[in-house]
Amino acid sequence: MARVEMARVEMAKIERTKSSIKRRLVWSVVASQALLAAGLLCAGVFYTYRRLLSTLDANMQAHAMSLAALVRYSEDTPAKLYFDSTLTPQSVDPQHPDLYAVWRENNELLTRSPNWPKQLQLTNGANHWNFESSGIPYHGIRLSRVPVLDREEGVPRPETLNILYASPTLHLRSQIKNTAIFIAISSLVLLSVTVLLALWGIRKGLLPLQNLADEAALVSANNWQLHLPPQVEEVEELHPLTESMTRMLSRLERSFEQQREFLGNAAHELKTPVAVLKSTLQSLLHRPRSSEEYRAGLEQSLQDLERLERLLEWMLRLARAEQWAHGALRRDLEVVDVTVTCEAAVERIRAWAESRRTQVHLLTNGTALFRADPEDLQLVWTNLLENAVRYSPEGSSVEVAVHSNNGGPARITFQDHGSGIPASDLPHIFERFYRGDPSRDRATGGFGLGLAIAKGLIAAYGGTITADSTPGKGTRMTVELPAGGTPLELSTNH
Amino acid sequence: MRVLIVEDEPRLAENIARSLRESAGYAVDIAHDGQEGLFLAESNTYDAILLDLMLPNLDGKQMLTRIRSAGQHTPVLVLTARDEKESVVALLNAGADDYLTKPFDLGELIARTKTVIRRGKGQPSPVLTIGDVELNTVNRTVQRGGRNIVLTAMEYRVLEYLAHRPRAVVSKSELLEHLYDYNWEKFSNVIEVYISGLRKKLNDGSSRQLIHTLRGQGYMLQD
Repeated sequence: MARVEMARVEMAKIERTKSSIKRRLVWSVVASQALLAAGLLCAGVFYTYRRLLSTLDANMQAHAMSLAALVRYSEDTPAKLYFDSTLTPQSVDPQHPDLYAVWRENNELLTRSPNWPKQLQLTNGANHWNFESSGIPYHGIRLSRVPVLDREEGVPRPETLNILYASPTLHLRSQIKNTAIFIAISSLVLLSVTVLLALWGIRKGLLPLQNLADEAALVSANNWQLHLPPQVEEVEELHPLTESMTRMLSRLERSFEQQREFLGNAAHELKTPVAVLKSTLQSLLHRPRSSEEYRAGLEQSLQDLERLERLLEWMLRLARAEQWAHGALRRDLEVVDVTVTCEAAVERIRAWAESRRTQVHLLTNGTALFRADPEDLQLVWTNLLENAVRYSPEGSSVEVAVHSNNGGPARITFQDHGSGIPASDLPHIFERFYRGDPSRDRATGGFGLGLAIAKGLIAAYGGTITADSTPGKGTRMTVELPAGGTPLELSTNH
Repeated sequence: MRVLIVEDEPRLAENIARSLRESAGYAVDIAHDGQEGLFLAESNTYDAILLDLMLPNLDGKQMLTRIRSAGQHTPVLVLTARDEKESVVALLNAGADDYLTKPFDLGELIARTKTVIRRGKGQPSPVLTIGDVELNTVNRTVQRGGRNIVLTAMEYRVLEYLAHRPRAVVSKSELLEHLYDYNWEKFSNVIEVYISGLRKKLNDGSSRQLIHTLRGQGYMLQD
């Protein structure tokens, strides 16, 4: 119950922190649009301001020049400079007239507009400046050394003038404001249209994902096929996902299939020993028998049970080896010397081999280090040795050789001098429960599992195991272990 | 009746054979692989064959096909560890008369063996009736006119075989063939001994004989 509760809390947490692609996309669209609008606004305002200002400057320059034209020499002699105020140019804004002042070379004020502010501070040398006069913002320019246009005989060199001219910038401000408002409103309209379009596009764009999810929901242990609708296959971005899903499904199917097959094989293999046991007991009970007969029957049954027990144990070993080979089990591995595990296996088998008058010889050339569980390796060697000894005639020998390669891949061979394996059986000997000759194998106590276990374990360590056999001469089993012995990861197993 | 067991697991074969001998009174031969089974089936006449499927040399289904294509009608009861529908259907289509999945019940095995033998000889009922003689093949009892008749094992076997083939002439050699297994020396004069014993026990006082002797041909059970 506590577990269920925990799972529910976990789910709720996920629910709360769930992020939506749609929301994220819309937000990013909105943000980029807003940024764009702001940029546009700034650029628009700046540009408008510059344009208006340069227009104003040009305007004021023209006005200033026309002021310069109004400075004339009088008819008197010597000719005096004077300002003809009758022709003063009209102001841009009649309500806030322009300001101007004209100085002669010697800084003598020639004229100035009536509204010229008394306390106007001018920065020396600046040709443009902004200021406020009685609350009205002004922009002014300075024209230096403007020659007097009027020509008078007797004046050798035309005098030059310094002119200041300023116009109010109120209208400029209001124009900028209007531009800003226009840009802002059109951006807002564009933004909302974009959001709607983005929502529609995203929904349409994510539809294949929904389709894929619907299809994936149909996959089960009985239906491993993932049917990809065309609208999903068309989407390029979904390809990595669908490909890995298809790969994962086929891996799962294979491993499911193997489990099912194993279960089927196991059930099938168990039936015969159970049938033997059952029939023994039934025929014992069929009618009253002497105590000797009962005793013999019970002893037989016990033997049958022991055989059944061994079969079960082997099947469990195989199941473990296959699980391990599929990466379902993770264990701690240590660096072991393959030679040492071979020696241990030979020791384990020696007494039994000698009881069958078979010699076991071990040939090694130094250490062969490998990362593995030593029990696994010993089990493989024992299985291969048992097989070799089992099919060896009396008085023959079995040779085990470990070829280490200075930390490189190691090769271990098991050579017997038995009757060999028929070529037709050779491709099948590593299949579980495969027995080339069932009656003979039964007589020798095999179940047809030893080689399957060996293959499963060796495959788990990334190695290979092969058999070659010459009928009448013997069989050689060759195990190749990769350098270092890093077990295969689940992902690279298939 | 004589039955052939083809089974590679010697213990199982021995247990089945013992049961068939003890509780059905059948003569039983055992073959441990398909080749041997095929040889025995071809060289002897059996009333039924119990056939395991997983056999060395020649598997059960191949052997069955060979027997059937050679025109043998012997009923075949298949013993299989597989119980998938397809393989059962395939077996029956290959000519099997019945099947049993391992591990089976010995009682059921015997009952089914009796059934395939009976049906093979055109006798649907387990109680065979010839005139007023009733032969119950289930509990191996014989009655005549409601009176129990106690027979020896061999006498019963002779009568049972004849009763399965009423009104047919059965030669002495056929009787020998179906009453003894492979390991027995066959002497035809023992049949005469059993027949005369049967005649005495079945005699109900009338001069009417059930078992007729056809000189030079054999015997016939007829009311």
